[in-house]
Amino acid sequence: MLRSTYKPSPGALPPLPPGWTEHKAPTGHTYYYNAATKESTYKRPGVTPTPTPPAAASPFGPPSVSPVPGAHPLAAAPMNPSMSYLQHQTVPSINLSDPHVANAFMAQYAQQNQPQSGGRGGFGAGGRGGNQQQQQRPRPQPTDKPKAKVAILGCEPWFLVYTKYGRRFAYNPVKNASYWRIPEKILPAVIELDKERIRRKAAGEPPLEEDPKYQSHEKEEEKKVEAKEAGSGQQGGQEETHDYDSSEYEEVEVTDDEGADHHDDDPEHPSKRQPTTTEDGNQGPIEFTEDDFAAQLAMMEGEGDDCMDVDDPEYDFAAQEENVDEEPLSDTDARLLFRDLLSDLRINPYSPFQKLIDEGDKTGVFSDPRYTVLTSMRARREVYDEWSREAIQALKEARAKEEKKDPRIPYLAFLQEHASPKLYWAEFKRKHRKEDVMKDSPAHHHRTFNDKEREKLYREHINRLKLPQSQLKSDLKKLLESVPLRQLNNRSSVASLPSQILTDIRYISLDAKTRDEFIEGYIQGLVPPPEAGNDAGGEEEDEVLRKAREERRKREKALEERERRVGEEKRRQEKKLAFERARLREEERELQRAMVVDKKGLQSQLAVEGKTEVPAPKEEGEKAE
Amino acid sequence: MPAIRPASKRKPPPEGFADIEEDLLIFANKMKDAQNTPTDNIPKHQAKWPIFQISHQRSRYIYELYYEKEAISKQLYEWLLKNGYADAMLIAKWKKNGYEKLCCLRCIQTKETNFNSTCICRVPKAELKEGQDVQCVSCGCRGCATGD
Ligand SMILES: [Zn+2]
Ligand SMILES: [Zn+2]
Repeated sequence: MLRSTYKPSPGALPPLPPGWTEHKAPTGHTYYYNAATKESTYKRPGVTPTPTPPAAASPFGPPSVSPVPGAHPLAAAPMNPSMSYLQHQTVPSINLSDPHVANAFMAQYAQQNQPQSGGRGGFGAGGRGGNQQQQQRPRPQPTDKPKAKVAILGCEPWFLVYTKYGRRFAYNPVKNASYWRIPEKILPAVIELDKERIRRKAAGEPPLEEDPKYQSHEKEEEKKVEAKEAGSGQQGGQEETHDYDSSEYEEVEVTDDEGADHHDDDPEHPSKRQPTTTEDGNQGPIEFTEDDFAAQLAMMEGEGDDCMDVDDPEYDFAAQEENVDEEPLSDTDARLLFRDLLSDLRINPYSPFQKLIDEGDKTGVFSDPRYTVLTSMRARREVYDEWSREAIQALKEARAKEEKKDPRIPYLAFLQEHASPKLYWAEFKRKHRKEDVMKDSPAHHHRTFNDKEREKLYREHINRLKLPQSQLKSDLKKLLESVPLRQLNNRSSVASLPSQILTDIRYISLDAKTRDEFIEGYIQGLVPPPEAGNDAGGEEEDEVLRKAREERRKREKALEERERRVGEEKRRQEKKLAFERARLREEERELQRAMVVDKKGLQSQLAVEGKTEVPAPKEEGEKAE
Repeated sequence: MPAIRPASKRKPPPEGFADIEEDLLIFANKMKDAQNTPTDNIPKHQAKWPIFQISHQRSRYIYELYYEKEAISKQLYEWLLKNGYADAMLIAKWKKNGYEKLCCLRCIQTKETNFNSTCICRVPKAELKEGQDVQCVSCGCRGCATGD
């Protein structure tokens, strides 16, 4: 009945991701609500993303979140099996915070995957995954965002962009390219910037981004000259097409785009950590436009601090390699598969949809892949309603057919409910004389069914009621066993049994509940009906059945294929995640190293009044490796 | 003979009751659970919400069985109403234009609300501020306007 996946978490809880707030349901249960995404869940949002599907509008419960339209949060345990594969996303338990381990892991990752383009950052972006559906790919979900930008003087049109989390990247607005790792050609100018930044800070002057001089590349002509004189040794602007790919300062494009072509796949360099001589190793720069900034911002607002916190805009969803012909499940197939599920699991069509969800764990509905072919609760409810309506009608028809065939069926059913050893036949007859089953209705013209026969059945039934339960059960079992498999099999329903059973006095001897449970158990132990009846049944019906079976096999195959792909995608994502994390840490480390170097560099420079060359961060970095 | 019992109680349920008996029992148990749940740490006005909600669900269940799925006979439907399994007044409202999803009768009784108008949950989402989160005081409804 009332089932909830809620489990109180012991001890101190981690803070909620941004956007989430904690609430108490009327029952006292705590639930969590995200005003931005309108999601709610009993499960504390945190490490694991548990998006809740949008549900149909419902009067009760957190707005548009309860799994069942018209349901209340307390009844709506927000178990969402469709997301279960995400919940299994875990990173292998190796210590990736150790750079060496991380590098080894990444090298392995790169090898496992297809050869990478030489210049695509240090960590084997791209690679597999051409066979998942484009639209199913999650967009990267950066949590960092640009905060300020400063013109890199002398390197038109480059800008240095600072992020909220204190990271920075180089941005070329002309080519719309951004790089986490500062391209070597503008590196000296960036170091100059850093020095200036530190100097200003020390002097208490306003930061660079507030200085109009650093707002743009105006008067570039003069500056270019300046820059050259300053001994930067690099020309800005002209050489962006050459992405020098040293082992330390690889450029990492800042992009959240996907699917760019690798036009320079280099099978010799499975690991990007190796030095490469590829001149034009980078693929064409990918946009990182104002729109992307805006999108990132928007995502910041709604995005939880979950395990997808790969704030790297380079988060790449792999170039297409094996482009398997996609044949996703059609909407019709999905609906039919869901209906198959309901029928196969013998869901009672009279039950409310809420029960399907409440008991989803118990009945096995949630663990069945056909449950997730429909992706929203609204769709599930819709199909459920349609299915239950039709299933009920079919049941009623089947029953009516049986009853019409034999007036003994409703009569026996009536006896079961109303016959009593305390009543003699005459009394019983008088008491219920107004009931349809006691009258010789013209609908029952198939056979003669008169009072004499009614009396006989009544007496027999009353006598049987005196027998021990065990006897009645074994009698019923004998009856069931006498029915051919074609008529009684594991697809049969207690609610519409063949007339051979319904007209037998043994059928009504046990009380209805005990009997139905007994029969249900018996049916479940049976095998499926024999394949396309060869000897009996109209040929036309066989044809219909055969077609239906074929259709079903087809959609089940489509489902299998989908499952396989989901599994593949999941494994791919797991690797990707581990790999991205490792890269992130590596970058942080590099940044830290760079900072240390820059400070030292500044000090030494101040000491010798600019006569000494500032040590290049990369050398320091290399020593540290 | 207990002649005092009301006529409706004496009569056995019409045919078809067996089909829904189990689910009605589940509703009854839910109701019992809700009534027995301690309400000490819950604001007083919220204490009865679960009960309103279960009764709403049960009425909806019977309404749909009869009107939408044509699963039960008129006889059985009327018997259910008579025996309190569904709220006939509420169902009567659902049949009216604009009240198809009404949560409860209190929410359209103007006198009981603070503002001397219908409840906040009756206001269509389109007329609320973007992202405004409403929940009515009387039954915990979060919006039951037809278009929502
Ligand atoms: Zn309402
Ligand atoms: Zn209400």
